[in-house]
Amino acid sequence: MRVLVLILNRLLWFIPTLIGLMIITFTISHVIPADPVAFFAGDNATPEQIEALRVRYGLDKPLHIQLVNYLIGVTQGDLGVSIYTQRPISEDLLARLPATMELTFMAVFFSTIVGVPLGVFAAIYRNSFLDHFLRVLTVSGLAIASFWLAILFQLLFAMELQITPLQGRIDGWGPESITGFFILDSLIVADWDSLQSALSHLVLPTLTLAFPAMATIVRFTRAGVLDAINSNYVLYEQAMGLPSNLIIWKYVLRNALIGTVTQIGLIFGILIAGAVVVEAVFDWPGLGLYAVEAILNSDYNAIMGFTLVTGAFFIIVNLVVDILHGVIDPRTQA
Amino acid sequence: MFESAKFIISKLAKDRTSLVGACLIAGLLLIALFAPLLAPYPQDVSEFHPPERLLGPSMLHFFGTDRMGSDIFSRMLFGARITIAIAVIAIGVSVLIGVPIGLIAGYNKNWISDGLMRVSDIFLAVPQIILAIAIAQTLGPSIENVILALSATYWPFWARLVYAETRSALTETYVEASIALGASPFRVMVFHVLPNISSSIIVRTTIGMGGTILTAAALGFLGLGPPAPSPEWGRTIAESREFLPEAWWYATAPGVAIFLVVMGFNLFGDGLRDILDPRTRRSHDG
Amino acid sequence: MKYLKVFKALMLSVALTAVSIMGVSTNSFAKSKFVFANSSPYDTLDPHVIYDVGRVASRLNMYDGLMRWLDNPPQLTPWLAESYEISADGKTYTFKLRKGATFHDGSPVEAKDVVYSIERILALKKGAVSLFSKSIEPGSTQAPDNHTVVFNLNAASSIFLATVPAIHVVNSDLLKSKEVDGDWGGTWLSKNEAGSGSFELTRYDPAIGFQAKRYANHFMGWGDKYLDEIEFRTVKEINSRVLGLLNGDFHGTDGYLPQDQVKRLKADSNMNVLEEESMRIFYSIIHNGRKPFDDVNLRKALSYAFDYDAFINNILSGSVARNPVPVPNNIWGNPKDAKGYTYDLEKAKEYLAKVKGPIPEITIGALAGYGQTEQAAALLQNGLSKIGLKSKIVAEPWSVASKKMRDEQQMYDMLWLWRSTYYADPNNWVGEMYACDQVGARNNSWYCKPEVDKLLMEARVEPDQAKRAANYEKAAKMVTDDAGGIFVYNTKWFGPYNKKVKGVRFSPIGNAQEMRWVHME
Repeated sequence: MRVLVLILNRLLWFIPTLIGLMIITFTISHVIPADPVAFFAGDNATPEQIEALRVRYGLDKPLHIQLVNYLIGVTQGDLGVSIYTQRPISEDLLARLPATMELTFMAVFFSTIVGVPLGVFAAIYRNSFLDHFLRVLTVSGLAIASFWLAILFQLLFAMELQITPLQGRIDGWGPESITGFFILDSLIVADWDSLQSALSHLVLPTLTLAFPAMATIVRFTRAGVLDAINSNYVLYEQAMGLPSNLIIWKYVLRNALIGTVTQIGLIFGILIAGAVVVEAVFDWPGLGLYAVEAILNSDYNAIMGFTLVTGAFFIIVNLVVDILHGVIDPRTQA
Repeated sequence: MFESAKFIISKLAKDRTSLVGACLIAGLLLIALFAPLLAPYPQDVSEFHPPERLLGPSMLHFFGTDRMGSDIFSRMLFGARITIAIAVIAIGVSVLIGVPIGLIAGYNKNWISDGLMRVSDIFLAVPQIILAIAIAQTLGPSIENVILALSATYWPFWARLVYAETRSALTETYVEASIALGASPFRVMVFHVLPNISSSIIVRTTIGMGGTILTAAALGFLGLGPPAPSPEWGRTIAESREFLPEAWWYATAPGVAIFLVVMGFNLFGDGLRDILDPRTRRSHDG
Repeated sequence: MKYLKVFKALMLSVALTAVSIMGVSTNSFAKSKFVFANSSPYDTLDPHVIYDVGRVASRLNMYDGLMRWLDNPPQLTPWLAESYEISADGKTYTFKLRKGATFHDGSPVEAKDVVYSIERILALKKGAVSLFSKSIEPGSTQAPDNHTVVFNLNAASSIFLATVPAIHVVNSDLLKSKEVDGDWGGTWLSKNEAGSGSFELTRYDPAIGFQAKRYANHFMGWGDKYLDEIEFRTVKEINSRVLGLLNGDFHGTDGYLPQDQVKRLKADSNMNVLEEESMRIFYSIIHNGRKPFDDVNLRKALSYAFDYDAFINNILSGSVARNPVPVPNNIWGNPKDAKGYTYDLEKAKEYLAKVKGPIPEITIGALAGYGQTEQAAALLQNGLSKIGLKSKIVAEPWSVASKKMRDEQQMYDMLWLWRSTYYADPNNWVGEMYACDQVGARNNSWYCKPEVDKLLMEARVEPDQAKRAANYEKAAKMVTDDAGGIFVYNTKWFGPYNKKVKGVRFSPIGNAQEMRWVHME
């Protein structure tokens, strides 16, 4: 019942939050001094040409009318047309989405399979050398500028050792597009060259992106495990004489994971913010790079479309996390 | 108050990592303050020596020279000033906006408080760096605009925190008592609630410094920070990319500088939290 | 210690995955496939909506024009046209089309396609339209028969012929069938191709680039050495282009890399770096229309305060040639005897002393992402501070700068940039940059002097090249004496190619990106 109320309450706010988000992005993107039309019209455009284009894209209308037109379009699933690529924004975003998702997924996967065990070990052997070492590592993970880490990786692995590609998502054109995920697609069509190329291109961006996320996971897992170890029921289990390995893995980890799950929203935040910069350095053709390009080109509709989609995604993730939290953690139901 | 400050300091002094953090922050402040005295070539912030461009590290130039032939070490020291200025002012403004909003929204239980929290939720719904990039690009690249962009996107963190803390502080007996005794809302907020939640604000602010410095550097890296020939660290790293891998020293110095400073704030913030925030203390020392 | 084992197993598998992932294959290509790494993205393939140097490859390789600029110095060569005639009054141009030229779908290239192409350019109002919009009325171009096209200009023009290569001929029947809502087939053509050029499109992705295969029936015919396939791929980062070139993933990249990278490429035994003097001048616009920059003494002071020598010899390692006037050194109409400015702070101070009234802080514009413009701005700022002038540098992306350039109020006081070759005629430089009728469009200096303008306008209608040259020489000298801008250098092109690549044919228009003569050994 409580969960249901929670969901309803959150859904109730979903739409107004999105509209608010649109108004903010609209305001920001429309006071940009740059003229996207002038940019697109090119070097040789005359003032008349630019004016004609402006009329065509509806940029000659007063701002509030542009906003209303935009909002009406969005309700019909129309995010507008990119002035720069001349394609519908929704099409552009959809085309870029798999690249970002592939990278983000790899980063989540990598940071979890490394982060959770490390967090557990740090908690079990607290104040040991391992714990101190991990503490330094996690603090570094959150202190290092991701664009600098990316450049260091490039310098070492791509330029000096030459064992990974410097940039990009794949050599050539990639496997036949089915899902848009190169790894999946190349597995489906058994294109092993593409698979290897896609994987090798993923290494550096994944490591860069995963490092701060991993640091966060280590910290929360450690804290969660410590909480659980110190809680009464574990002491009780110990008193009951259950083997400590079993207690750790079965009880403590499960409870500690609850803490980590609730941080998924935070981790996604780190990843998406990181993706913007990491994609820019690695020239990764995903949403983050699209956003940076859109901003540099003053592509209003593209900026708004991106912000809207990421914002909606973010809100949904948080909603799901809230619900999950409500479901797994009995305390919130009490 | 004085007693507790003394207690905090003595606690911090015993914590090695916090001490390291404090030293790094103090180092940054000293460097920023005495940059003109410490720099071997203080004029190199705006002075160039094209014939000496892209020289490797040596006794003359500890961190080598850049694309204009200026001493990177000297420029890094002056870059510290920019970093400090951006972080301190942006965080200061965020606190000044976020804390009152959080207090008002937390103290009142009506549509105003709902509205205020919704607005801050909207800001929190998008990764901060996206909004900051959009704002900085809109306003044009300069130190002032980076500060503005960061302040505009970071205040909701404090609003959210203060809102939650205020709500729980209102249930404390002495706050309830002072309301019952007829204290004005302003009085309750400033003299009863605020001191009670100040430790959370301090912790959040210290840790926030690190994040802000990183975001500011990322803006500089993307070309939205102060323009050339500013010695801002993020911009220096962006400049260096064209000259890699030959001029490896070019990107190294500013990257390490950012790392150490952010590390300083994070370590110090962690230490502070362990002492000031009883709910998370356990997680740290087990 | 069961979890230790688990942990060990975990770490081992992670390490194994990492190792297996890191083994990178070096891609080998089919024998005659050429891969070019381009710095700008091919966001559209429509030849009529863009007219820039960065995306020229899609136009040159898949489309033909009536005429084409070839080689260096550029020669205007009949291409789809086999001959042309100009009427005595200089207003009517009659082109005879060669027979046997076909589009990629096999249909013949006819006069109606040329007419459709110019009408399409005029209607879309994008790309190269400003070259034609003033001289050609929509509907005025005629096709008396399948192989004759007649352009009827409003007024005589001696530059029209030079701009004809910009009219890329599209397949009108095909495009008409793809038309949606009167868009002239624009939606379709942005991702497809409707040309007759040497290569036909096989694959296109705006995020990656395009691939094309040889069109065996091209009217020029093919020798026994050619490329079967070409690929132009977008690789934005300089280092990626250079590394890809060094390890053989790419066979060529753009010829305007920073000198530090050119040195690295020259040192590699698998590389062949071709050198040509291009026509691409680097200069700073000065906003002549704004006080106090309307004072020639201030402009001269600015011109004497830039360290040309340090910029050319140190920052650019002597890779470019000093070009003191607003016409490239290697084209007719360049005054060989012009003496430009030198770095002379004493003279700068002398002229500065003659400037009346206070001088506010000077805004120096630079293009974000183009490090060289920033370095030039910083160097100028340094010189200015030595003569007591305050300045600030504003580096903004091209999208912002290109807008400000057209607005008298928003334009920076100064702006560093290049002027590339759109057509090889001095009118492309001084004739547009300092002509009154181009103010706010192609003249971004708000410079309009009757005596200069008279020379330029005469040259635009004068048919005799010798007389035109004299006018441009005079005008270029006058603008230089008047310090209309700070003119620094003319670019050299350093085309880096794999040793196997032969037959590269460079022209400043297109920067050697037309691939029909190239082959691999």
